[in-house]
Amino acid sequence: MFFWHFGEILMSTEHIRNFSIIAHIDHGKSTLADRILELTGAVSEREKKDQILDDMDLERERGITIKASAVTLNYEHEGKKYMLNLIDTPGHVDFHYEVSRALAACEGALLVVDATQGVEAQTVANAHLAVENNVELIGVVNKIDLPAAQPETVAEEIEHTIGIRKNECFHISAKKGTGVPELLDAVVTLLPPPTDRSNEQTAALVFDSLHDDYRGVICYVRVFAGSLRVKQKVRFMGNGRTYTITELGKLTPKMAPVDEMGTGEVGYVIANIRGLADVTIGDTITDDAEPAHKALAGYKPPIQMVFSDFYPGNNTDYPKLRTAFEKLALNDASFSFTAHNSPALGFGFRCGFLGLLHMDIIQERLEREHGMNVIQTAPTVSYEVLTKNGKVIRIDSPGELPDITKVAELREPFVRLEIITTSDSIGEIMKLAESGRCRLLKTEYISGTRVMLEYKAPLAEIVYDFYNVLKSISHGYATMDYEFIGFENSDLVKLDVLVNKVAVDALSLIVHRSTAEARGRRLITKLRKAIPRHQFEIPLQAAIGAKIIARETVKAYRKDVTAKLYGGDVTRKMKLLKKQKEGKRRMKNIGSVQIPQEAFMSILDSAELE
Amino acid sequence: MSGNCSSKFSSDSTGLYVHVPFCRTKCRYCGFYSEPIVEYDAGAIVCAMIAEIQRYKLGESIKSLYIGGGSPSSLTQEHLLRLVNRLTLGCPAAEEFTVEINPGQVDKTLLNELRRAGVNRLSIGAQSFIQRELDFLGRGYTVGCIRKSVQQGRTAGFGNISLDLIFAVPGSDLDSWKHNLQAAIELAVDHVSAYGLTYEDQTPLGRDLAAGVIKPVDEDTDRAMYELTIDELARAGIDQYEISNFARDGFQCRHNLNYWANGSYAGIGPGATSYLQGTRSTNYPDISKYAETVGSGASTVAASETLGSLELACETAVLNLRRRCGIDLVEFKTRTGFDAMQLFAEPIRMYQKRGLINTCQGRVFLTRQALGIADSILCDFAIV
Repeated sequence: MFFWHFGEILMSTEHIRNFSIIAHIDHGKSTLADRILELTGAVSEREKKDQILDDMDLERERGITIKASAVTLNYEHEGKKYMLNLIDTPGHVDFHYEVSRALAACEGALLVVDATQGVEAQTVANAHLAVENNVELIGVVNKIDLPAAQPETVAEEIEHTIGIRKNECFHISAKKGTGVPELLDAVVTLLPPPTDRSNEQTAALVFDSLHDDYRGVICYVRVFAGSLRVKQKVRFMGNGRTYTITELGKLTPKMAPVDEMGTGEVGYVIANIRGLADVTIGDTITDDAEPAHKALAGYKPPIQMVFSDFYPGNNTDYPKLRTAFEKLALNDASFSFTAHNSPALGFGFRCGFLGLLHMDIIQERLEREHGMNVIQTAPTVSYEVLTKNGKVIRIDSPGELPDITKVAELREPFVRLEIITTSDSIGEIMKLAESGRCRLLKTEYISGTRVMLEYKAPLAEIVYDFYNVLKSISHGYATMDYEFIGFENSDLVKLDVLVNKVAVDALSLIVHRSTAEARGRRLITKLRKAIPRHQFEIPLQAAIGAKIIARETVKAYRKDVTAKLYGGDVTRKMKLLKKQKEGKRRMKNIGSVQIPQEAFMSILDSAELE
Repeated sequence: MSGNCSSKFSSDSTGLYVHVPFCRTKCRYCGFYSEPIVEYDAGAIVCAMIAEIQRYKLGESIKSLYIGGGSPSSLTQEHLLRLVNRLTLGCPAAEEFTVEINPGQVDKTLLNELRRAGVNRLSIGAQSFIQRELDFLGRGYTVGCIRKSVQQGRTAGFGNISLDLIFAVPGSDLDSWKHNLQAAIELAVDHVSAYGLTYEDQTPLGRDLAAGVIKPVDEDTDRAMYELTIDELARAGIDQYEISNFARDGFQCRHNLNYWANGSYAGIGPGATSYLQGTRSTNYPDISKYAETVGSGASTVAASETLGSLELACETAVLNLRRRCGIDLVEFKTRTGFDAMQLFAEPIRMYQKRGLINTCQGRVFLTRQALGIADSILCDFAIV
């Protein structure tokens, strides 16, 4: 593919526009990206596969873009040639981190809202993020061709929630192409160009990276100052490592090598970097001989807030699961896994995620891309412990909690939660939020029938099935989003579950004191139903320290005997007894109690939820 | 604890079982193989069974004979006697010869003839002394018929009479079950088999249960009935010697003891099982197919398995432990080559600790409290 600056002078920053598209899932981001690619000739009709930017099958199927990627486009406006770099962003706030990475490489963004759905919570959160990053926004109301479209109302919602004036919004149909050429013109006329720092020392921001089996690490970069050249010896300012650039290029969207990349440009760098671990996203690449004085502002590292245990399910073995996790981690630096062995549940992995959706995606990728069958426990959150000697430690599971006498404060993560819903379900949603210890900060009508609620909420309550209940009480209309705001001291207790007087580590929970009894009771009630009766009575207890707060009993079975066993019955009976024995063997021993692993899983899996 | 593993019963004798695959009517709970007798040429099948008997080298080795079913008493007197006579003739050394009969299907003449032909034990499928329960089970006779059959049996000279009883029939309670036990005791029978009602999948009763049409007796009551059986019968001198079997001293069923000793036996008739020289084989459970194979001289065996030495040991342990006398370590070693204490060290130790197994005088046996939940223990002996 031809580029105007090839072999000649670099394009001036005046003629570069770096932008991304912010949209809620299914609001048409990828369709708009496809239209833009077609309009700029980056993809011909013939080559086009719907939604080109989504690399992975899963992304295409779920309509979610997981990995940011960047495409360079040629565009002519009023006789002048422009280079447009479209940087893709994930649509969900779990990928806040990736969104902010993408936005940091942009000067502007298109904020796309579905004319039939209206503004969703995620859109608002991402718009806030853009504003924080000084990214200029253009409001876009999409899908105006649909009969149910209400472009005026939606434009009003955009004005209310994000502050873009309704008469400045573009009304388009990405599917039909209506309004897209005008929008593309606006990208050039309304979004600012990069600042010209071409005379300064080289400084390029690594905003993404991926691992290719054949070429090693591929870094996506945005050049903020100076330029990058092939064969240039560069230094990663964060870790001080140096590499020689072997290839520079653009995604058009195919990889198209270039010799040099100037200020304001976006592209990829290959430099014989072995593993993703060698590259820190947010690091600055500079010239090794003439380094920049100061690194570019990086990113806050992603915070893993949600944790869940994964165990191999049917027909899946532990080493295979490990291999699958290793492969996933190669392309997702925000996901972590550590081997974990529980006497109750066997061998598995404790995994950390940015949020709930991130967790769901990992689970689905395990199943689809790796054919793994996994059992996943209910998600929990990370806590902060202030010890009496003044140390602050992070713990990701109740088992890591230090002796309570050494704990000065137990802090839990709080989030700012935004819910956008139709006004008829407000009452129910408020009840739900209240039961989840959420504190209402703001209520705002964003249109005649839709409301935005803002809460300060403990993340633990949000990961505890909040979203499913929200969806069900709002008949699918409510959307929510949350953003981590910090750890705060909270009246938290460790809830232990004792089976036949033996504490089962895997079932311990850190919970708020106000909900401990209800949670404990629910847990042991489920446990009672899941534990098969034994030859003896089994007490089940939920306890906080030495205090028993709930109790249930698995009654002993009174009868388990074959009445008739004569010659003709032996073969069949032996088979049944062997089966009974195999059943016992599959169980996990907690003291003298045998519990099927599946029973444990069923308790944890459905998250003690009804 | 009663110990009736006297050596004469556990010796390596061979039993012979004849399965009569017919019933006049099928009981609602029965999962055994049988067909309505009116649909078959019973005489031809009896001939086939006699032909099958002739395939075996009978003689001195057969120590017990048993004609069961189905209902042997559904056969005509002529057919049944033909079978009996053939067996008596072929097995002169048999010390026990049992025929199962249904109340209401026998008369004085038949019983006299059976006794004269060499049958010395009657197993009467009484099931209940409560008419409502008999009707529920689909038995098709009256309580009066049971008493009459027992009396006629005694009159005919049977010195060894056993009754089958079923407990935990829906609608029953501890009192009604006690009434049943008393009735059996009053009849002064020598042996009782008491079975908790089992709901087999492919039976009308099993289907009713699955459909929620009937409500089974609750587990606690079921267990209490079982315990009551052990106590009440013992008070009448009828001691438990196997999970479901009770007898006056010396009246333990020799034929069945051979099963629980894992001794060898030959099975004759459709669906009957043989266990000879470590191979267990089962005849075609299909009357026509069976008759055809006998007629053509082909094998009657539908399925067979030869046990490995460990499997043999496990089966022997499971069967032995059903006896109150449990595993006789010497007998076990002789039969299987294994030391049971070693082979089953783990379950024995664990269940001893829980008071469910005892060891004493060279024997390992279930304790009284283990009997009602025996399968949950025996399964740990079913595989090692």
